[in-house]
Amino acid sequence: MRRGSAGVLVILALVVTALVLAGPAAAQQKKLVYWTHWEQNPDFNKWYETKGKEFAKKTGYEVEVVTIPYQGYEAKYLAALMGKSGAPDFFNGMAHQWCGQYDFCDKMPDDLAKLWDENIPKYMLEMGRWKGARYGVPIEHGNFQMMYMNVDLFKKAGLNPDRPPKTYDEWLAAMKKLTIVDAKGEPTQVGFALRHKGAPVGITDKFLPFAHAFGARMLSPGLDKATGFANSPEMVEALTFFGNLVLKDKVANLALGNPEDAFDQKRAGVIYRESWFFGWVKKNAPEITFKIAALPCGKTCPGAGQLFPWANLVYKNSPNKQMVWEFIRFISNAKDDLEQHQLQGILPVWTVNQETQYVKSRPDYQAVKDMLAQPVPPTYFHPKSNELATIFGEAVVGVLYGKGQPKPLLDEAAAKMDQTLKD
Amino acid sequence: MRPWIRLIFPHSYMDRQRRAGLLFVLPAVLFFSCVFLVPLLQSVVGSFYRTRPGGASEFVGVRLYEKVLADSTFWTSVSNTVSLLLMSVPTTVILALAVALGLNRIGSLKWRNVWAAMYFLPFSASLVAAALIWQWIYDPVYGFLNFLLALIGVPPQKWMQSLNQVRPSIAVVNVWVRLGFDTMIFLAALQSIPGEYWEAASIDGAGAWQRLRHITLPLLNPQIIMVCILELIFNFKIFDQVYATTQGGPASASQTVIMLLYDTAFKYFRMGDASVMAVFVFFTLLVVTLLQWRIFRKPVEY
Repeated sequence: MRRGSAGVLVILALVVTALVLAGPAAAQQKKLVYWTHWEQNPDFNKWYETKGKEFAKKTGYEVEVVTIPYQGYEAKYLAALMGKSGAPDFFNGMAHQWCGQYDFCDKMPDDLAKLWDENIPKYMLEMGRWKGARYGVPIEHGNFQMMYMNVDLFKKAGLNPDRPPKTYDEWLAAMKKLTIVDAKGEPTQVGFALRHKGAPVGITDKFLPFAHAFGARMLSPGLDKATGFANSPEMVEALTFFGNLVLKDKVANLALGNPEDAFDQKRAGVIYRESWFFGWVKKNAPEITFKIAALPCGKTCPGAGQLFPWANLVYKNSPNKQMVWEFIRFISNAKDDLEQHQLQGILPVWTVNQETQYVKSRPDYQAVKDMLAQPVPPTYFHPKSNELATIFGEAVVGVLYGKGQPKPLLDEAAAKMDQTLKD
Repeated sequence: MRPWIRLIFPHSYMDRQRRAGLLFVLPAVLFFSCVFLVPLLQSVVGSFYRTRPGGASEFVGVRLYEKVLADSTFWTSVSNTVSLLLMSVPTTVILALAVALGLNRIGSLKWRNVWAAMYFLPFSASLVAAALIWQWIYDPVYGFLNFLLALIGVPPQKWMQSLNQVRPSIAVVNVWVRLGFDTMIFLAALQSIPGEYWEAASIDGAGAWQRLRHITLPLLNPQIIMVCILELIFNFKIFDQVYATTQGGPASASQTVIMLLYDTAFKYFRMGDASVMAVFVFFTLLVVTLLQWRIFRKPVEY
């Protein structure tokens, strides 16, 4: 009896062990794993799984979406992509970083690349590309700053949200009207909520539209030099203006946390954010009435520029990379593009979708058009863009916090950026 | 016969004893080697190479040391770390000692344990969760602290969003987190000191201060040194709280060495530079710990 029980136990243990060992292997064979750090777009991400089920009927391969928290996502991506095991089959990232700084990406098949190049707006062509070759699928249209205005606060301040400020002089005057201070002189409501917390790279991203409107650029056109650009007189002027919003004009306040929260809490009349923010506000603060307009112009117009050209990239060491390309081919059509983006309330990517009812009914429809009509701003798709923008962002935040004057801080930043470019 | 062969093929009782001893320490040695020694050696080796993840490495000699040690950002982060450490360590140690002395005077074991558990609770909480709660407490607009200050007419402070207040604010969080752990060590040490010493001193006319100065503190010397070393290491390597609360801001005012190391390695992927920082942290801690040990440690006999 005892011997029999022991035998049964041994067999059970063997079966469990076999199942444990075989389970993940079997699951991995039939799953395409997708990593994304777009925490703010859960419905968009989940759509891949839904579509994956349809794809599985043809191929047997489903899609599993893994959302990596944005904070520190680079480290997790890097560890996985270097380690190979446990790495995703495809992932949301920037081509100049993951394909340029490292060699982690599989080149897109020519016919698929042609399909995408022919079907996305011209300004998006460089997204997902590295050195002229297409590696990834651009996933975000309208990934540039626009002006979100709180309609109620505008009206209370005697401003007309249907006639948004077109120049920075008008804009500053409006911000002053929107700012309310208490008896002690502390703003209880600000005109403009600016980014001053978090990673400096994000601060740079939010400052660059100001810099571009002042005719400045962060790097040389060849992206090989910072001195003379990051510390140019135009950049100094732009940063002085930006710093004065907090220090002199007091239309922005460092006591407020994230600009998004300040806007949602009706503590800020204006915020600069990308197109996706429309869907986010609708879901998280539906009581806010807002309008979206193109950014004002200074010496020039800032244009539709961005620091983070997100694209879906395929891991070159993935054993399933051919199947991933098949999946991407499966969803590379206008209908799916519209469906996926509409689900999350963000702009579709395909040109043909830009005039659909969904896009036309969005509050950012005209603003996006106006931004795209502005001159094309500089882009900084350099393999070290994160590090360069961090160094630059430290100068920007240094000015906001009164650590120094714009010129010396920008000089120091430019020298460090040059050193980084040389390394 | 060579000693290591005799370890494998023991000939005598002593050989077997040695082999047993070796087998007992072997797991710890293997664990220590895999988890500490190998990464340490890798860091030292890595600090001489410029490494491209997924690509080739290039031997660059001491160039990365020259670069990192000449970088103002690095020294700013060292300075931030040291200033945070100077605010946190003495405060934590002195407060923990005071609390332990207080707890030691509580006669009821039950109530002593209740109080000790309350002090210890923050140590067992998740650092990130605790940091987020403190972030809310310190919030300049909605924060609980400013709300309390407003009740007594003090104007709102910016706390973690101020260049001057950010490090003291983080230091308070550090003290809150570490106080319970240090208190437990001191309390255990206090309870192991024979009561006759204080009794005899009292009979000889020594006051409370004299008993503390001439009996308690000298007898607690090993624990004080140990706690100081532990606090020094903890504070020099501080990462979680800062990362979760300020991310090194505002304007890098709270960026610590380990945060810079993390960013350098995992955001900018400059593994060589990060290795130089890791080696710097290791040797700094080693030297300071050895100095502390040599200078302040006194043998204690009950």
